[in-house]
Amino acid sequence: MRRAAAIGLALAALALALSACGGGGGIEGGGSKEAETVKLEGKPSGSLTISNWPLYIDKGTVPAFEKATGISVKYIEDINSNEEFFNKMQPLLQQGESGGRSIFVLADYQVSKMYKLGYLQNLDKSGLPNVEKNLSPSLQHPEFDPERSFTVPWQSGMTGVIVNKETAPNVHSICDLFDSQYKGKVDFLNEVRETVPLVMKCEGVDPGKATEADWMKAIEKIKGAAESGQIRRFTGNDYARDLTSGDAVAVIGWSGDAVQLEADNPNLEWRMPTEGCMLWSEDMVIPTGAPNPTAAEAWMNYVYDPTVQANIAEYVNYVTPVEGVKPILAKRDPELAENQLIFPSASFTKKCSPTPIIEGKEEQNVIKAFDSVLNG
Amino acid sequence: MTTVRRRLIPYFLLGPGTVWLVLFFVVPLIYLARLSLESGVVGNLEFTWNWSNYSEALSLYDTQFVRSFVYAGAATLLSLVIAYPLAYAIAFKAGRWRNVMLFAVVAPFFTTYLIRTIAWETILSDESPVTEILHAIGLAPGGHVLATSGAVIAGLTYNFLPFMILPIYASLERIDVRLIEAAKDLYSSATQSFLRVTLPLSAPGIIAGTLLTFIPAAGDYVNAQFLGGAGNRMIGNVIQSLYLTQADYPSAAALSFVLMTLIMIAVVIYIRFAGSEALMGEEAK
Repeated sequence: MRRAAAIGLALAALALALSACGGGGGIEGGGSKEAETVKLEGKPSGSLTISNWPLYIDKGTVPAFEKATGISVKYIEDINSNEEFFNKMQPLLQQGESGGRSIFVLADYQVSKMYKLGYLQNLDKSGLPNVEKNLSPSLQHPEFDPERSFTVPWQSGMTGVIVNKETAPNVHSICDLFDSQYKGKVDFLNEVRETVPLVMKCEGVDPGKATEADWMKAIEKIKGAAESGQIRRFTGNDYARDLTSGDAVAVIGWSGDAVQLEADNPNLEWRMPTEGCMLWSEDMVIPTGAPNPTAAEAWMNYVYDPTVQANIAEYVNYVTPVEGVKPILAKRDPELAENQLIFPSASFTKKCSPTPIIEGKEEQNVIKAFDSVLNG
Repeated sequence: MTTVRRRLIPYFLLGPGTVWLVLFFVVPLIYLARLSLESGVVGNLEFTWNWSNYSEALSLYDTQFVRSFVYAGAATLLSLVIAYPLAYAIAFKAGRWRNVMLFAVVAPFFTTYLIRTIAWETILSDESPVTEILHAIGLAPGGHVLATSGAVIAGLTYNFLPFMILPIYASLERIDVRLIEAAKDLYSSATQSFLRVTLPLSAPGIIAGTLLTFIPAAGDYVNAQFLGGAGNRMIGNVIQSLYLTQADYPSAAALSFVLMTLIMIAVVIYIRFAGSEALMGEEAK
């Protein structure tokens, strides 16, 4: 009897604690707020913290920037996934803080979403003369930021197919990845915005004009392939491991990785899918509450100097957004300068599509459906 | 004076542990419980007693729940089959090698869990000798071993095996050998004395070992992440992706609670069935 009373009391206390604690449940979303423009203050100095993806810069650029400007840089490679990084930072951003960071590097769709939530600042173009001068024309007016008022591209790239020439010589398209002779030897990326649109392209749908039904149909196709064992597993960068160990013979992968993999293993090769690839870029942005935006813009401007960018491009092997890099690299490493994966010609990417932007309820439904395929 | 002090001593001893548990277990648990009843999207979560998080979590992810319990169950059973003879050998037959063998059981802990699991990726990869042998004896029906449920169960078994071996060893080692001798004196065969003396006396170790293996294995996500393929994700992977990829905190919190509850129910039934004196040993009688 006494025991029952004690349990009842404990439950009542728990219910009370549940409804009382945490108070700040209903924080207002940003949304309607007009984005502020960064305030530049004289000559850049002080310190600067940058968050970027791992292995996305050469070893020399940060020290050279520090030497040239006297700014001390804390360069953190703590971004491994757009969603994970955003979800980690979101509680801070909600309170107008940036976790001490002045620059994030995130994908187009992610920064577009953050801008709408009021988490990013507009840039002051007077601090970015190199960007004005050298930004590649094809990247100057993207749909999500037509005047490049809050983003500066860091690197671009392509998502397509990487194969082992010996074991999968006949894979030339996304549709070929569904060929049952490669059963259990195919990896797909776990990125909904790249994998699903590529499969749409195989089905003849233009991802830019896709309806929710088109997304769902492509996801169904992927689901079928996962359940039948055609798709071995869904990966991030770790498809590189499967390709080199022979566990996978054809994967959906990224162009920069392909350059590296080709260099390390002559059997591996990038294949531009006959349906075309996905084109994406990742952008430098300045979050609201970022300390020292002056130094942040100085950094953005610095990496848009073609000589500086040549060092970065030579190391990361993605598509550089900066004009004037090719002639510099042609002198240093002619083969690299001719590589279509680093300096793609217009005809090479003719059939490629930019990462489609999906939002709101549609985005939620699509992500949920794709995630249930990932979780099998 | 001394009696008052004596009465207070237990509370002093309990103090640090209690503070630690309240701060780092009870408080987060209350937050988690609250979160599991919220609705809305991140940034706009509101506490609304939203019980549908639970019903949705259960109906959407029932496959992964069943899969987790099947994998964890299989891994526990395999561990038991491997661990018991080993623990028996260490306790009764190892002689001067006993300490060396115990050290060998614990040695894997000197490397991190993650690295050991990733090492299995290499061991089981398609072109490794291990896979070729398994293939030759017909144990790789799908053509590959890595990225299958078998690989996940093998990984779980490997990673949690020491938690099975050590408690069984401890209970075997405590057995008074004179009892076994007495059984023999009373004309029981080796099998009989094992079944009627050794096995019952080692039951506390078996039960502790199965619990220590099953509970963490059911919530594990590392093995499925690295050794599993499409269609081998466990409930831990779902919770991880709900938190980090989809930012659906309420559903993730609800799933965590469902997992805790299911494990708790399973454990209670198990202990009832096995008898709590078996878990506690002689002391409970």
